[in-house]
Amino acid sequence: MEKFKNLPIVKKLGFNRIVLVVIMVLLYFLFSVKSGRPLDMGNVLNTVDFMGFLALGVTFVIATGGIDFSIGPVMFCAGLVGGQLLVVNGWPLWLCLIVTIMVGLAFGIANGIMVAYMKLPSFISSMASMRIAKGIGLLVTNSAGVSWPSSGAENDWYRNLVNYNGIPVGLIILLVTAVICAIVLNKTRVGRYILCIGSNREALRLSGVDTRKWEALAYVICGLLAGVAAIMYAGAITKYAAGQGDVFNNNAIAACVMGGTSMAGGTASIAGSLIGIFIISMLRVGITAMKFSPDWQYIITGVIVALCVFADIRSRARKK
Amino acid sequence: MGETILTMKGIDKSFPGVHALDHVDLEVRRGEVHALMGENGAGKSTLMKVLTGIYTKDSGTITYEGKEIEFHNPKEAQEAGIVIVHQELNMMNHLTVAQNIFIGREFMKGAMIDDARMNVESKKLFNQLGINIDPSEKMGNLTVGKQQMCEIAKAISHQAKVIIFDEPSAALTEAEIEELFKIIRDLRDRQLGIVYISHRMDEIKVITDRVTVMRDGGYVGTLITRDCTKDDIINMMVGRVIYEDPKTKSMVAPDAPVVLKVEHLCAGKMVQDVSFELHKGEILGFSGLMGAGRTETARALFGADPKERGDIYINGKKVDIRSPKDAVALGIGYLSEDRKRYGIVVDKSVAENSTMANLKNFIKGIFIDKKEEDSVTKTYIQRLNTKTPGTDQLVVNLSGGNQQKVVLAKWLVKDCDILIFDEPTRGIDVGAKSEIYHLMNELVAQGKSIIMISSEMTEILRMSDRIVVMCEGRKTAEIDIADATQENIMHAATMR
Repeated sequence: MEKFKNLPIVKKLGFNRIVLVVIMVLLYFLFSVKSGRPLDMGNVLNTVDFMGFLALGVTFVIATGGIDFSIGPVMFCAGLVGGQLLVVNGWPLWLCLIVTIMVGLAFGIANGIMVAYMKLPSFISSMASMRIAKGIGLLVTNSAGVSWPSSGAENDWYRNLVNYNGIPVGLIILLVTAVICAIVLNKTRVGRYILCIGSNREALRLSGVDTRKWEALAYVICGLLAGVAAIMYAGAITKYAAGQGDVFNNNAIAACVMGGTSMAGGTASIAGSLIGIFIISMLRVGITAMKFSPDWQYIITGVIVALCVFADIRSRARKK
Repeated sequence: MGETILTMKGIDKSFPGVHALDHVDLEVRRGEVHALMGENGAGKSTLMKVLTGIYTKDSGTITYEGKEIEFHNPKEAQEAGIVIVHQELNMMNHLTVAQNIFIGREFMKGAMIDDARMNVESKKLFNQLGINIDPSEKMGNLTVGKQQMCEIAKAISHQAKVIIFDEPSAALTEAEIEELFKIIRDLRDRQLGIVYISHRMDEIKVITDRVTVMRDGGYVGTLITRDCTKDDIINMMVGRVIYEDPKTKSMVAPDAPVVLKVEHLCAGKMVQDVSFELHKGEILGFSGLMGAGRTETARALFGADPKERGDIYINGKKVDIRSPKDAVALGIGYLSEDRKRYGIVVDKSVAENSTMANLKNFIKGIFIDKKEEDSVTKTYIQRLNTKTPGTDQLVVNLSGGNQQKVVLAKWLVKDCDILIFDEPTRGIDVGAKSEIYHLMNELVAQGKSIIMISSEMTEILRMSDRIVVMCEGRKTAEIDIADATQENIMHAATMR
């Protein structure tokens, strides 16, 4: 095992990411065999698309050692505002899409300012943003929620962003974004500094780096991607209920943790987060296909998250 | 003075690589105040930790009330009647005075804590000591002096027979010190044995009966306080032979320009009106005992901590330093005394740490130019003789000396003109130490200027061209290396 871990190719890909991919493949076969037909990957992709964007964004925040569990409600808020403007106020679609992203971005900026400049614990800023996001969503739609145009209706071409004649456009956009995120995280100053903030913020500050700016940037990236996620959600599901969304930030954070991003900060893996989201989405579809209550997915992901964080803590303790 | 209550004889203690205590003796009698003196790192704290069971001794005997004993933890020592009053008070500010005194052994009334009774018992203790504190007051509302009184009351409530005061006066005002001394004399009259650790020479003369001096982990001797002078004690504290040749004269050209001028720098209690100049090509040593405010001065100067007042000039131009970012932009680098916390990011690579202060110059387009980063890091690995398998090795896997070299590389990559070395050789083996000295000399020869904070007298005398001595937040002396001796530095360091 040690020998396998030290192979150059394994080191490059990351041992735990290989393990995750193996688990993913095993899950696919398990679900397919047990339910008697191939797992419905189209259904899986429906949630992978938007949850993937959430997971990518929150990976940056967790890398700094912070947390953002407002992303689900923020995504909903963005979708509700954009949808309301489109369906009720009759704004042009392109403008609504931009507004949707801008709402996410605005929450990201607000979170960044609260955490990095005002020194609020990220736990608290998340809680504040979450409640504000829910409140705005409820107010704007009169608590009624909103449905984006369904296929065949006017202004439906945004749905092509998720699926165009069977081509998984959403997945392609997600993968391209993931590649960009991985480059930003590993090859640029932004990523270098964000990871160092998670590792030893004070050493970085004493090296003459404005740590506040770069920490805030992590939240801004996260908010921006939550805005994009809102469009993907609309494209896949169309119907937004007001005052919800919590479940999705839990999924996104669980995916990060599974993928090897440490809650202590300083270590992060974009690929890991993406694989994590796949596993969570497959669990949801697979469990239903096996005729179990879909509620089991919560229990299973809960256990997985606890185990992953425990493993992370153990490996850190061993290093010291 | 009465009979002997506590005898420590031939106490020996080694840590990996350090002989911390080398056959140290200490004898305390009932009804005496016994001073324990020595420079930083002389072994006073280690000796007290051995006594109270925080460390186990390697050899030697401890005799207490006629019986040979060995405590395994501070609680055992406390139950036997040996209590330390720490310099840093271990009080919980949100609890009342009485709740603090009886923490861990609260009086109970059924399942409830009996606060009323704890207040009554505390009041009794305070009356015994002749001090006036309301036991139901919140601890956080008291002054540091009063909090210390509470700590003493807590010690008494444990039926203490030996009380150790670890630099009790450091945080107190003159009036509070007077009150503290009154209590200590009262405790002495009640036949307690008192060990008094302090750096303040004047206090030692006033309050203590005998003095035991330690130096470099060894026992130097015990004197009757009233029979000796301040100079006698200082000579015992510093009377070591210096093996490395101290610098005899300044290497700085007499007309060397002033690169850094600090005027009336104030930042909290630890930095009070500090002014000095640093010349081009100079190593300016900062000497002083623990808590003299040297690191705090450096941090305030570097913008790491906020300052209240003070002007800073670089090359004659007034500058405004509000954050480390400003300082680094002006060409100042700071090598912290606490490498792991402030110097390096341990779970990142040698290369990432080396370019941390100057990453901007390693950007090609939007990407970090890893090739360039690698090759520059390699040059500094060679130049500093850093022992690492490669540039991508995580810093956590390097030894202390090599970690220090990585921090150094960081500031050399940034090409700083003014470098602040805070305890540059702390926790570093002898070989790496002389390499770092060599490098510092090389740097000043190239026209860089260095501020070197050091608690090691030999290091100060060997490296500095000029020496600033601080004591409790103030600059107490500035000595040219030609006139510097261990004695006059120690005088200035214990000025208060």
